[in-house]
Amino acid sequence: MAKTQFTELQTIRVRVNGHEYEREVPVRRLLADFIRHDLGLTATHLGCEHGVCGACTIIMDGESVRSCLLFAVQADGAELQTLEGLADGDEMHPLQQAFWDNHALQCGFCTSGFLMSAVDLLNKNPQPSEEEIRHGLSGNLCRCTGYANIIKAVQAVAEQSQS
Amino acid sequence: MASSQGGKRVNVSSISPRVEDTFTLSGKMVGAQVRRVEDPRVLLGKTQYVDDLDLPNSLALAFVRSPYAHARIVSTDAAAAQNQPGVQLVLTGADIAEAIKPLRVEYEPAKAPTHKPCDWPVLAQDKVRFVGEAAAVVVATDRYAAEDAAGLIDVEYEPLEPVSDVEQALAADAPLVHEEWGDNVMQTLQAEIGDVAKAFQEADCVVSERLTTGRHMALPMETRGCVASFEPATDTLTVWSSTQVPHVLRSHIALVLDFPEHHIRVVAPDVGGGFGQKGHLFPEEAVAAYLARRLGRPVKWIEDRRENLSASLHAKQQAVQAELAVRQDGTILGIRGRFVGDVGAYSEYPWGSAFEAGHAASSMPGPYKTPAFSFEAVSVATNKTTIGVYRGVGLPIGVLTMERLMDLAAQKLGLDPAEIRLRNMIRKEEHPYTTIIGAEVESGSHRESLQKALDILGYQERRAEQQRARTQGRYLGIGIGCYLEGTAPSSAAFASMGLNLGGYESATVRMDVAGKVTVLVGTHSHGQSHETTLAQVAADELGVSLADVKIIEGDTNAVPYGMGTWGSRSAVTGGGAISRASQKLRTKMLRIASRMTEVPDDDLELAEGMIRRKADATPLMPIKELAHRILVQAGSLPPDEEPGLDATAHYEPPPSTHANATHIALVEVDSDTGKVTLLRYVVVEDCGTIINPTVVDGQIQGGVAQGIGTALYEHALYDENGQFLTGTLMDYLIPTAIDVPQVEIGHIESPSPHTPHGIKGVGEGGAIAPPAAIANAVADALAPFEVRVDAIPLTPERVLGWIEQHKAAA
Repeated sequence: MAKTQFTELQTIRVRVNGHEYEREVPVRRLLADFIRHDLGLTATHLGCEHGVCGACTIIMDGESVRSCLLFAVQADGAELQTLEGLADGDEMHPLQQAFWDNHALQCGFCTSGFLMSAVDLLNKNPQPSEEEIRHGLSGNLCRCTGYANIIKAVQAVAEQSQS
Repeated sequence: MASSQGGKRVNVSSISPRVEDTFTLSGKMVGAQVRRVEDPRVLLGKTQYVDDLDLPNSLALAFVRSPYAHARIVSTDAAAAQNQPGVQLVLTGADIAEAIKPLRVEYEPAKAPTHKPCDWPVLAQDKVRFVGEAAAVVVATDRYAAEDAAGLIDVEYEPLEPVSDVEQALAADAPLVHEEWGDNVMQTLQAEIGDVAKAFQEADCVVSERLTTGRHMALPMETRGCVASFEPATDTLTVWSSTQVPHVLRSHIALVLDFPEHHIRVVAPDVGGGFGQKGHLFPEEAVAAYLARRLGRPVKWIEDRRENLSASLHAKQQAVQAELAVRQDGTILGIRGRFVGDVGAYSEYPWGSAFEAGHAASSMPGPYKTPAFSFEAVSVATNKTTIGVYRGVGLPIGVLTMERLMDLAAQKLGLDPAEIRLRNMIRKEEHPYTTIIGAEVESGSHRESLQKALDILGYQERRAEQQRARTQGRYLGIGIGCYLEGTAPSSAAFASMGLNLGGYESATVRMDVAGKVTVLVGTHSHGQSHETTLAQVAADELGVSLADVKIIEGDTNAVPYGMGTWGSRSAVTGGGAISRASQKLRTKMLRIASRMTEVPDDDLELAEGMIRRKADATPLMPIKELAHRILVQAGSLPPDEEPGLDATAHYEPPPSTHANATHIALVEVDSDTGKVTLLRYVVVEDCGTIINPTVVDGQIQGGVAQGIGTALYEHALYDENGQFLTGTLMDYLIPTAIDVPQVEIGHIESPSPHTPHGIKGVGEGGAIAPPAAIANAVADALAPFEVRVDAIPLTPERVLGWIEQHKAAA
């Protein structure tokens, strides 16, 4: 029966923000739900659950992924980074600092996804042009800011790394 | 980032990157460009939105929703669902008919004689009226189990003929959305002010236009949701909701559940955007609150995006017919407008969906001196999702209509579009100016904002550029949109419409023994930066640093009864209530300080954490010492002084607090594809005294982005059967980082003479004029094709269709 298959439990091991977790999860459990509700890491948000808005973006084995489009079991053995792992204690990551300095967030719901996408963007292209930043972040939706200050914040970090 | 503090310029980011530095700035705070207090917790991932709340022993809800636009419910078979593992309870409309009252918007009949109320059952009773309407609810141990079971509930429907658009709804033999009405008209508002017939007779030039706007929606990135919990020991129902209006929610949950309001606590935690959509009590919230009490266990409802797209609230689908009568020199003689709103199946609770069409109609004259005006606003029910307030409500439609007419008149008279506007705008020296609809415009900068926006754009150079481009087969267009917005509506404004809702706001300001200030205020920030801006107001009123002020909102057990955040109201009304409460507190502090220092209280002030002599700024006593004396060493107080250091004020805003702005769009239209590209976008806004320029710029940029969505992309589509077609974010498109230019923003400050600090509202402003400015720009770009821009959104398909129509006719 299909039902018993997708609710079947499987044990997974993941490393999230440097911490090892071993958990038993139903095979159909979304990675996003696993991170948020099983691990209690609620900085990762769900805005659409169909892979468009980007609010649930995290880094998995060095690549940005949408945690709403993956099952938790697909992350078995993976190294994950969420927003909670970005700062060094209370010392903000340069992108967090730049978002603050540039008023790059309003309601904050999409911010986590933007930060993780920006981390990925700058990892791959430390000196992006404005157009490259816009394209790099075009898979994340924000309804509050109109994007301009988010783009400025990413530009500011790119400029810092240049100097 | 530079920070201005009473003339001093401080580079905030160079002080230190540490979190607490924003809080230690001192000096005059209203007007200062300080970083947001709320940001560190967001950036560090420490916010708590409603779905982040996982209460022990919690259950999850899933709603069964109608696949039909209009159908009779024949039967519901929930047996299979009830036997599913984890399922606790399944309820249908029949099960809760007695327990939860329907949501019913009532206006005062004397003020709104044509308004027809309707019941919005929290779960459908005998029939469903839109695709997505909740017909049953499943309660299960988690959301996966609840959704599995919801899929097994078999509702048998007998489809009825749907009312799929306004034209059909108004036909004589139309099927009825609400049978008891006898037709499909929710409300008709009519007014004639001045002699409109004479104005049109005497006009040298009359222009008219029919316009349609697309059905679209607020689409906050966080969907709707709530957690409800009942504590039998204290008979207390607590609802954490992603809401803009915690007290409104509390009162109306009490009403529909018939449960005493003083046993209900509503908490709005961090809320991921609202834009009007979350300013309501929804059926799902009422059901969740009921179930928590019935089951004695916490329940959580988090809607998915498809539900948000199809079953929350839509907005702003109207059909407009309007005419403008002018003299040869462009002087306005009269305006006529008929606005027909497609309000969907029910009425947004508790405001009423008929609000929008009237708001659109009455906004037409805007900043233009208009001697005669008549309008009709008709709100028509259809089998679609209900219409609700969304940023700017009717204004974007009224402004689009008027601004299109102004361009058409200018074109016909051979006037420049800027010139015809300048000739008709209220002049600075005419304030206070009473408009044709009876609003007193207390101050403003209509002509000045237009002139400044033209200067920022380099208007003449762009006109020359446009000419050059045309010779190369490129189609550039410049479009202007100007508006006047009555922000922060007062209680009386609602009462005049027959709507029993307050426009006032409440605040309690408390000082503790260390001289630090806690502000409890009834507004609610879901992105608007209140923890910063309202703290700036309190800091100035009480002479303390920003670090010494904490703003608390959103918990009805903590904050005094207030109306929440919507309608560009919070800076005016929340700020006003905080100012008034602070003044009460200050008066008491200075009176007691006067008796201690033997300096008359009129000669004392609170500044920089000190009681100072006003004349020479001599510090006499730290505020914290005075606070300690009043709160702790109360035995040494003069016997006629009450102890205590808190004060509450309820602030009713003035009948009119008018903000204004000019938007100018520079677009390029690709004549081969119909794609509209925004090359530049200029806004010159005037929201009176600015509390925090960074926050105002952020509101403008974000509002413009939403307005761009309205103008170019967003359309919640139904087919002729009332089937909803845009149920994902791949079908319903909002602007992305590629689509929104950096808005070039200029400011003019015309303080209100009526509000504390001269503050006016700004939250909605950015979203009001983009449809007008962009539609005018596209019409201007396509002038060689003689295109009539009479509908938004301006999708490539639509624009290309107009171009090809012209080519076919030529």
